[in-house]
Amino acid sequence: MSAKYILIVDDDPDLVETVSMMLESKGFEVGKAYDGIEGEAAIKKRRPDVLILDVMMPRKNGYELCKELKSNKWTQEIPVILLTAVGEAVPTTSYSHADGMSVEAEDFIPKPVDAATLVEAVERLL
Amino acid sequence: MESSSPLEDNRLGPSVCAPLARQRLNLTFFTHVAGDREVLCTASHNGEAALTLLRSQAAPAASLALQPGTSILAVYPHDKRPEVIGTFIRSLARARVVIHGLASSPSAISAVLSSRRIKPAVEQLFEHFTFPGFASPEEFFSAQAPPKEYLEKVVATYQEKVNKVYWIIPQPDLDLWGMSIATADILAGFAAALMEMGELGLVIPFLVALPGLGGKEFILSFSTARRQPGGGDHGSEVRHILKSHLPDRRPMRLTPVAGIFLHGPHFGDRYGIAHTLVAALERARISLLALSCTISSISLIIRQKELAAAQVILGNTFAAPVECAPIGRT
Repeated sequence: MSAKYILIVDDDPDLVETVSMMLESKGFEVGKAYDGIEGEAAIKKRRPDVLILDVMMPRKNGYELCKELKSNKWTQEIPVILLTAVGEAVPTTSYSHADGMSVEAEDFIPKPVDAATLVEAVERLL
Repeated sequence: MESSSPLEDNRLGPSVCAPLARQRLNLTFFTHVAGDREVLCTASHNGEAALTLLRSQAAPAASLALQPGTSILAVYPHDKRPEVIGTFIRSLARARVVIHGLASSPSAISAVLSSRRIKPAVEQLFEHFTFPGFASPEEFFSAQAPPKEYLEKVVATYQEKVNKVYWIIPQPDLDLWGMSIATADILAGFAAALMEMGELGLVIPFLVALPGLGGKEFILSFSTARRQPGGGDHGSEVRHILKSHLPDRRPMRLTPVAGIFLHGPHFGDRYGIAHTLVAALERARISLLALSCTISSISLIIRQKELAAAQVILGNTFAAPVECAPIGRT
């Protein structure tokens, strides 16, 4: 059986690298993209089994991408985990939890995320 | 800024990091090799202030040089593959770029170069790499919106009492290689050596390069895994490659060493974090062999026998998740 494919989209390349190491060590195949537009292109190229998506990104943010995916019949079934510092760490941001709820992501995980929580969330959605 | 003070021990904390942190001057790029040399970058409007501060703390034999009008150019992901780093260096060479410093993070390799050479450097990078997000250099440049407001919004919220860290990842069983090479050789011999290491499947989790005195030499410091997955020693392989491409140089190997990688959030945009790290290690009398701060990570190399103590002190110094076990590939 082939490994499940997880796509991580975050504008912090070190975060993408670390999260991908976490997931690869658990047997997942991992794709990487560094903003919403790259993420969109990566999804068109290969449909992920789960999408891990940062919220605050340049060019196209995570909420925008998630909203687009959920409104497209070809991509709306892709499970999305929003990986976000919104809330406790960044209380003054214009990216609110209310926005997050409206984009219908399957899960929210606040940063910093530990490997066990992330893997558990991914496996729950597969 | 290039800084060196060859006759002064243990000056990194009190003479370099502490005064900059006190004045809330952020380091967007910071490299150090034991025991005397650094390259650091601040926002250009803080350059003179940083120079004055460091001068006020510097020993008489110290050397300080401010290079105004520089930029940081980074490529990611390098996946620790030496051939990616080698191609990056070669691209800069073909763009006739003078490198003022190189630093690695877990994902990226960064260079400090004159802002005037950014355009030709990016054009060369597009000759040698494919960037999924950008079809051309023009597209890349048009997408570079000023990040100031975005960063201010995010970073202003990270004025916490204890610096938050996403991960502290130890990586034992490394070799640390150190050598001084002619400036021209970093653009030819060293890049070729990296290409060959890549062909052999070696990985480089850490690399810094700093200009030596007078700008005619580069001080290189990089790490490789000590052993192959099957148990064989990588050291002789690496030494052979370095000797074949840089025959006049004598690479020094320090082994065993360990890396520790601390990651974000927004390390590259917040002041005082390097100072917190260096001060904690100095209090614990842990010798820093080499340091690289770029993108959103701090990568440091210490002696392996000091790894456990360093993990404890860093765990007590930063607000980090409990789970900080070694993960991933070497």
